[in-house]
Amino acid sequence: MSLEFEQYRAPVGGYDEVIGSDGVPRAGWKTVARALGALDPAVLLERQRQTNRLLDAEGTGHLVHELTLATDRHGHSAASRSQSHPWRLDPVPFVLESAEFDRLAAGARQRMRAIEALLVDCYGPRRLVAEGVLPPSLLHSLHGFRPALGSPVIQRWLVHYAVDLARDAAGVWRVVQDLTDAPSGLGYALLDRSAFARVVPDAVRAVGAAAIGDHADLLRRALTAAAPAGRASPRVVVLSAGPADPTYIEHSYLATRLGIHLVEGADVVMRAGRLWLRVLDGLEPIDVVYRRIDDPHLDPLEPAHHGGGAGVPGLVWGARAGGVSLANGYGSGVAESCELAALLPDTTQVLLGETLLLPALEPGRPLATSPVFVADGTQPLEARPVVLRLQLTCVGGEIMVMPGGNGRVLAPGDQPGTPTSQLAKDVWVVGGRPAARPPVVAAPQVDFASSVPKRVADALYWLGRAAERAEVAARAARVVSVQLDQDPMLLALADGAWGAATFAMLRAAQGAPSSSLPSGLPLGDALNDELAATTAAAAVQLASLVQEASSVREYLSTTTGRVLGRLARAHAQIVDQQAPADELDIVLVDLAALSGLAMESTVRGPAWRFLDLGRRIERSLAVLGSVEAALGLAVPQLALQPVADAVLSANESLVAYRRSYRSDVDLDAVLELLLRDDANPRSLAYQLDRLREHVAGLGWADGVALVQAASVESIAAVHSNAVNGRRVSLDSYVLAVRAPLLQLADAIVHRWFADPVNPTIVRGQ
Amino acid sequence: MSDGFTTAHLSPRPTNWQQVVSVDLRIDPEPDELEHTLDQFGNAVTQFAVHRPHTSLVVDSTIVVDVEVPPFFDTDVTWESIAAEAAAAEGWLATEVGPYLAHTPQTPALPELATLTVPVFTPGRTIADAISGLCQRIYDEFQYDAGFSDVTTPLATVLAERRGVCQDFAHVSVAALRSVGVPARYVSGYIETEPLPGEPKLVGVDASHAWCSAWAGASGGWVDFDPTNNQMPPLRHPTVGWGRDFDDITPVRGVVIGPSGSQSLVVAVDVTAID
Repeated sequence: MSLEFEQYRAPVGGYDEVIGSDGVPRAGWKTVARALGALDPAVLLERQRQTNRLLDAEGTGHLVHELTLATDRHGHSAASRSQSHPWRLDPVPFVLESAEFDRLAAGARQRMRAIEALLVDCYGPRRLVAEGVLPPSLLHSLHGFRPALGSPVIQRWLVHYAVDLARDAAGVWRVVQDLTDAPSGLGYALLDRSAFARVVPDAVRAVGAAAIGDHADLLRRALTAAAPAGRASPRVVVLSAGPADPTYIEHSYLATRLGIHLVEGADVVMRAGRLWLRVLDGLEPIDVVYRRIDDPHLDPLEPAHHGGGAGVPGLVWGARAGGVSLANGYGSGVAESCELAALLPDTTQVLLGETLLLPALEPGRPLATSPVFVADGTQPLEARPVVLRLQLTCVGGEIMVMPGGNGRVLAPGDQPGTPTSQLAKDVWVVGGRPAARPPVVAAPQVDFASSVPKRVADALYWLGRAAERAEVAARAARVVSVQLDQDPMLLALADGAWGAATFAMLRAAQGAPSSSLPSGLPLGDALNDELAATTAAAAVQLASLVQEASSVREYLSTTTGRVLGRLARAHAQIVDQQAPADELDIVLVDLAALSGLAMESTVRGPAWRFLDLGRRIERSLAVLGSVEAALGLAVPQLALQPVADAVLSANESLVAYRRSYRSDVDLDAVLELLLRDDANPRSLAYQLDRLREHVAGLGWADGVALVQAASVESIAAVHSNAVNGRRVSLDSYVLAVRAPLLQLADAIVHRWFADPVNPTIVRGQ
Repeated sequence: MSDGFTTAHLSPRPTNWQQVVSVDLRIDPEPDELEHTLDQFGNAVTQFAVHRPHTSLVVDSTIVVDVEVPPFFDTDVTWESIAAEAAAAEGWLATEVGPYLAHTPQTPALPELATLTVPVFTPGRTIADAISGLCQRIYDEFQYDAGFSDVTTPLATVLAERRGVCQDFAHVSVAALRSVGVPARYVSGYIETEPLPGEPKLVGVDASHAWCSAWAGASGGWVDFDPTNNQMPPLRHPTVGWGRDFDDITPVRGVVIGPSGSQSLVVAVDVTAID
């Protein structure tokens, strides 16, 4: 069996997870090695690439970690990229024998009970103080100590707990740290396993690694059970700080997996002692908050708050009064202090009458090693320490340990509590009998299809608008540059009339104010400058699009996630000016895929309606903008053909035009196709029909009236009256349609989306 | 603003030298939610919320207290034996004094505190002398400067610049005492300021005030002193409550929600003697 590990050299003298002191692979590893096959570096690299792609599709990679995007909703500020890189999954798993896992699980379970008892005591009777174990001055010095006002109602402090363990070089498992406030890693563990199981499904099955997916159901049951007494069908939400949080992907993934809403501070509000979700049509009650915001950032009303105005004002007050349950309780984080951890042996003795099973890891103690795949290392498998994170959930008084988890690889010089290598291992518990699957009890849950948080509708609406703007800019730039490449003589046509019209169309596609051609610059240069500006504008819209999508990831399919990943990369290439010449074509294909997914893979609920409202409004404005810019100019008949081609192509209607009108260009026919032909999915009339359906579907009378106002019937003879070189009747038509559309866009924001929520702290003497 | 949440420590608590005659707290607009409770130190806390649009929030608190000037404190007990007594405290006593030995973010154990404590806490000095020495030294060395600090100014800055306001001097006193092992409370309250001779007393010129209370052992109890005014005992000081630091006993802490805009807090306090 040693053959599989001939590439791996375990260090001499210390414990190694795979190679025993006799130099032979350990028993549990034999089956694993056989199942994984030859550990050829090329195979491992390919497996890592495959898992990376799967993880990226969930958004763990590029969407959030590589791209820190900063644009406002009008796409004005520039996008920037951060240097942080996403975590990756080691293609070699971490293997635990089930007997050993059982011992660790027993120790972790005891530790969760001991910490629960510690929290009950610190915030309650304080026996530890009375018995001299815990000096009160120490307790009151701890930064995480949050004594409550009055007599709080706390059913349970720890619903979810995680513990980091490392094996020392002598082979003894020791505790690195406890995670009691808002433990992370459960979602990553589930994600890692699902990716791993798809890359090497046979291996996972052959080895019989214990399944971990049930733990998500356990967590949901635990959270539901944590609801205040007497709530018939409790609603649970995941509370997140939003896409800026480094573990946001996990929040989003868990929300999807648990089938509960992911909310941010601005999505909820305290009223009458209860917590409420701001949905499209009012407020809906929330019973349990699975909080993934650590307590210094949870509630700005609390004196210990550090996060400016972020958080939910009054949440701690509401939880203390029993109106809403926090999982974990406010103040649980105090148990993460090293001072209390040091007292845990005595605490366990006093409060539980037990001897603490798992010893602590002292600083500097050498650790055991594991084979770690390092793609760019000197040897493919290096010996590195791995810190194991176990996940525990308390369901109705019973503590369940997930048989698996994630291992975090330490880079040389890392502290065990803060690994920097961004490399994770899937943890396989092997050799046990398959656990009897706990019966899955369908927790009574509210149907979320109809209740959409205002912020989500808001983000989807702007996502729709950004997608459309990106497409308009990309297509305009592509159309004009292709026309120019094919026929450079167009610049000279009719005294530059084609150039002036397409210049105006590019300005409109950027959403830039119209301006006359810059004087003193050759027309070709002016157009090239404008083409570059339009491409840059498309990139800014791509950034907005990805940014909006990041905050509503759980509403989008996995395939959509992949397309967004591609668009994020395209954005980076355009910004870095490393985009190949046909990059915009690829972007257009991806945008088409995105819009297709929105039509074909999204449930037609209110969420989809707002996404589509954004698209339809933007497309209406874009059609009007291009028509006004290019056809509002009374170009000579000589230049009309290429100008009309440009406008038709920019609106993806050239083919339709040629099929319907096999004649020379006819302005009336062009306008008919672009503005009034409700069978053309790119026409204004088609967009107005969709808008009409949406506002009617929302039962929104003001919206119905505004769409009606935008449905202007007649276009007076556009040829007849050119004044100062412009077709004034076309201009006045555009104005008449655009005004109510812009009003509709404003009205949507005011009627349906959250009022700006900017909690501000005021305090003083 | 469309929504506002407030936590207030405005109701005075009874002490050995203070009886609370009446408390009248009026809030305008009328709160939608209101709760009176006690904090972990036994101070009265009022939490309230207003959930409708309002442009101002007025908290008008009228308090009538009967305050005696505490007797002049003196003792033969040295500060070292007080520190030893505090360190050895067990059971109920440990719970009573322990929290006030804690170093909190607002009262950290800074090495720079030695510039105050080394000259003051000399070997064998009585606790009474040491407290009054500390009070005098802060009064002499620190300049009162209302524009220098706000509620977020760290203690290190106050120590380095030797200036601040009453709450800074209270924090300095508390941190200095705790650094030598003597339990100390941060006390929040008011002070009656006297007009200049011949001038009428103006209404609302006063602000809320803060000072320090040091533990002088089970026999001596808690001894208040006001380093801002170099008074020991304090003479015209109605007490609201106490804690480890300002965060524990912030008079008013609020969160307002609404379109961003400037928020301003105006505090006017009028303390008048009733004959």
